[in-house]
Amino acid sequence: MEITRRNFIQLLAGGAAGIHITPVPWKMMDDIAIWTQNWPWVPVPERGRFDHERSVCSLCPGGCGIEVRKVADRAVKIEGREDFPVNNGGICPLGAGGLQLLYDETIRFTSPMKRVGPRGEGRFLPVSWSEAVGTLAERIQALRKDNRPEALAAVDGSRPGTASEGLVKRLLQAVGSPNCYSMPSIQNTYQTANLLMQGNAGPMAYDIENADFVLSFGCALIEGWGAPARVIGAWGRWREDSKAKGPKVVQVESRASNTASKSDAWIAARPGTEAALALGMAHVMISENLVDRSFLFNYTHGYEDWIDEEERPRKGFKTMVLESYSPDKVAGITGVAADRIIALAREFGKAGAPLALYGKGKGNLNGSLLECMAVQALNALKGGVNTPGGAVVQQGLPLAPWPDVETDPVARQGLYGGRLGTAGDSRLPFAESSIENMVEAVMQGGGASPVDTLLVFGANPVFTLPDGGAFRKALTRIPLIVSFSPYRDETAAMADLILPDHTALEKREEIVWPTGLQYPFLGLSKPVVRPVYDTRHMGDTVIAVAKKVGGPVADAFPWRRFEDALKARLKGLAEARGLTSWDGSKPVWKTFAEGRPVSPDYDSFDDLWKKLDSGGFWYEPTHDFHDLSTCFGTPSGKFEFACGRLEQAVKEAARGGDAKTLLHRMGIEARGDDAYMPHYETVLSADAGGDTLVLVPYEMFNHSTDWLPNPPFLTKTIFDNQLRRDESFAEVNPETAAGHHLKEGDRILIQSDAGEVKVRVHLFEGAMPGHIYLPLGFGHTAYGVYQKDKGVNAAKLVAGKKDPLTGRTVWWATSVRVKKT
Amino acid sequence: MENQSNASEKNSKGGSREWSELLNSTFLPPFSLKGWLFFLAGLVPALIAGWVIFPMVLYSSQEQPFNFSHVIHADPDIGIGGDTELETCLYCHYFRDDGTFAGIPDLYACTMCHDDPEYPMGDSEDEMIFLEQYVAEDKEVPWLVYSRQPDCVYFSHIAHVKMGEMDCTTCHGDFGQSEKPPAYKQNRLSGYSIDIWGRNIAGFKTDTWDRMKMSDCAECHTEMGHEENNACFVCHK
Repeated sequence: MEITRRNFIQLLAGGAAGIHITPVPWKMMDDIAIWTQNWPWVPVPERGRFDHERSVCSLCPGGCGIEVRKVADRAVKIEGREDFPVNNGGICPLGAGGLQLLYDETIRFTSPMKRVGPRGEGRFLPVSWSEAVGTLAERIQALRKDNRPEALAAVDGSRPGTASEGLVKRLLQAVGSPNCYSMPSIQNTYQTANLLMQGNAGPMAYDIENADFVLSFGCALIEGWGAPARVIGAWGRWREDSKAKGPKVVQVESRASNTASKSDAWIAARPGTEAALALGMAHVMISENLVDRSFLFNYTHGYEDWIDEEERPRKGFKTMVLESYSPDKVAGITGVAADRIIALAREFGKAGAPLALYGKGKGNLNGSLLECMAVQALNALKGGVNTPGGAVVQQGLPLAPWPDVETDPVARQGLYGGRLGTAGDSRLPFAESSIENMVEAVMQGGGASPVDTLLVFGANPVFTLPDGGAFRKALTRIPLIVSFSPYRDETAAMADLILPDHTALEKREEIVWPTGLQYPFLGLSKPVVRPVYDTRHMGDTVIAVAKKVGGPVADAFPWRRFEDALKARLKGLAEARGLTSWDGSKPVWKTFAEGRPVSPDYDSFDDLWKKLDSGGFWYEPTHDFHDLSTCFGTPSGKFEFACGRLEQAVKEAARGGDAKTLLHRMGIEARGDDAYMPHYETVLSADAGGDTLVLVPYEMFNHSTDWLPNPPFLTKTIFDNQLRRDESFAEVNPETAAGHHLKEGDRILIQSDAGEVKVRVHLFEGAMPGHIYLPLGFGHTAYGVYQKDKGVNAAKLVAGKKDPLTGRTVWWATSVRVKKT
Repeated sequence: MENQSNASEKNSKGGSREWSELLNSTFLPPFSLKGWLFFLAGLVPALIAGWVIFPMVLYSSQEQPFNFSHVIHADPDIGIGGDTELETCLYCHYFRDDGTFAGIPDLYACTMCHDDPEYPMGDSEDEMIFLEQYVAEDKEVPWLVYSRQPDCVYFSHIAHVKMGEMDCTTCHGDFGQSEKPPAYKQNRLSGYSIDIWGRNIAGFKTDTWDRMKMSDCAECHTEMGHEENNACFVCHK
């Protein structure tokens, strides 16, 4: 039989037809799809036991409860906890991406190290823990022997009020140095504003959930401000059900951020003029009698004109506002039309429980004190202080104090006379510390640096400080830099000695009062995995160093390790009437206003500790709203529009001399009584207009802008018009761009007095004309391949004025010039 | 010869014309009978390859490290039992305090009874293998797991057994009554057990436990009125 070509094709056709009526193609399709999931380079956890560990996220001060899923002891997933009152199941992008900050060896220090290459290059060799601790302890001993303990300084990024912060301060105090500098954050601004107006440096506690009109001055409400999952949760409730009428939300911000875009109204005031806007609103509310007269009459001081102890007539807040902040005048300052100011003020004034929130972006950097006070004044005008839906007056957590430090003569001498800069003295009476001043002191003069040894804890000031690179320059003059960072960040790259801390998931850490939360809350994280590398808890290292230094320094630390020191503080909570569990049936913000004291769900400290360890939180779900006559700790015992403490401090510092000059040095140009009240001071470094633009850096929710490295997962969420390949984009209003002959995608050079960066232009109608917006958190020169050399660091460009009274950098308004390249 | 063959060819051609016409009157291709023979010569081996040889090639077959009898173990007389079938299973395949499922017992669980490698509890060879090679060496038994799903599948036993009140047999069949574990057949390509796709190569099933692909999960969710659980993120998270 002859087989033709046709027959052969027929054979093949038969085969092909046959195979299709077998399972082969369908089964293979399925199997091949699964096969592609199992390629050896696709990361899959080892097989093993599944566990869930409940803990608290300590990556930001938000204090969200997290549940970590583990497979064979490796953490594989972070989720929000639903049995946790703050976030109730929610979690932010950084929290969810936190695993990449744990296992990425390229961004972490795997053991104690000493520098071998030039500073900044990041070349290190491992050393033993005993050698590392010994080196630092010997240095401190030597400084004390030379009678200059104050040459030990610390920059501490630990959050205010935590045991970690306390241990750093204690080490410095015991050694004899007053030079302990905290990293700026919005918490400092809140505390100082509360101190001046309410008389206690308690946390800012906004009862957002119960407000019916929310006026946010710059808070990135749905982009990471406060406890992010809490605020987003509240926002979601307002929006999810059209019948449950949520509050009207108004965002004051110069750029159309996501928060501004999704608010009911967006008011674009020029950056740095928000205080004037608040005072302009106050003008309308006062003149139209939309204020709570009973609260103002009974519980405030300095609203009406008043007579002081020396029988002199003094100007009140009302007179100042009516004289100086008419809507027309404020419209000129802020760029917001007068009729909008009037309409906004009427709406705020007529609302039942309006709440004015103060913030700047996520709150990782400092805010403006006077602006914060002006916003708080709005709340006071409506009686929204210590009321449900208002700003609640809180005293801080009832933690037990540690025993006092017994200092020796060497330490006392250092503490008394060794302060660098002027924080805490006459020029900055309300700044506990000013890192900016330390930098100035180190750079001054040609001689040796007054700082011999600098310790850096939980901070990356070389990158995050918006100081135009001044901190980095100062580091080059400091002989010994010791970093406790777990990460290979820019500051650690400058260090000589690394004593690496654990990262968040490996560590016991407190969250003392999540930013902005209305009720007392303490979160306690626990190690959910064993330390991946040879790192040690920074608290344990501090105690080890102190013990090694010996003498009174060792005696100041009567604890074996960090956990003992922590427990000593938490004993205070056992005395208070709090709870350590939440059944989820009723949100705390609902029970909060009821005011009935609860009976604690623990009967001793040991019981409390056990419950804290397993549940991770303690809180007081109720608050007494009725103690308006006793809750203010101001000199007058009332809420103060005219801040007695401020006036007292200025008077003492001037010592009978000219208060005017002193106020000028504090950055206050207002004259007379205005100076001691919330008022507006211009902060712009130079007049905008002409060729110059105003640079406004901004923080992003889906990108780490703090000292923590950015998890690569989040880099994937960045838009092409924010970062493309390695180039950052600056947002410019199309109108402004046309004036500068700029098109979308053009490459430009932005120059300020501090430095210059190359970026590309993105035309954005949500950018205020005359301004240029750059995202923060890019432009790293350290960490790993996923963080390094991506975009530019906007903080490098910041140059200009200091915020009045606090001396902190005004980072939200820098004059810059723009050149096409 | 030539003529004859020509004739017979002609003849066969003539005889096949009707067939061809019949075939060509349908949608089938216009093949001659010879063409159809070649077509079948391709088709039949392909069918055999696809239905018979393919499954044999696709799956490897492995025996468990040693024989384990569920029948012997699930005997109330030796102390493993419960009021219900579920409780009997839970005796060894238990839920941990945190609600996670222990799955196949680890060595520690087995040694609750088989605590001394020197003293077997029965007289089987398999128990000796277990005691000598695993208990004495303190080594986990590398059981081959018939029900292992890909890593991207999140499955919670407690949600199904406690909340859904499902029996073990709904998914695992009568495995608990087995004298000897069946051979473990691994898909050479995907790496998973044959029991996921099902022992029927065509994917047909008669019982609920015959296969356990995503569509089977979804089918049951829908039947039980939990269609919302067919959302992607319920299992793939």
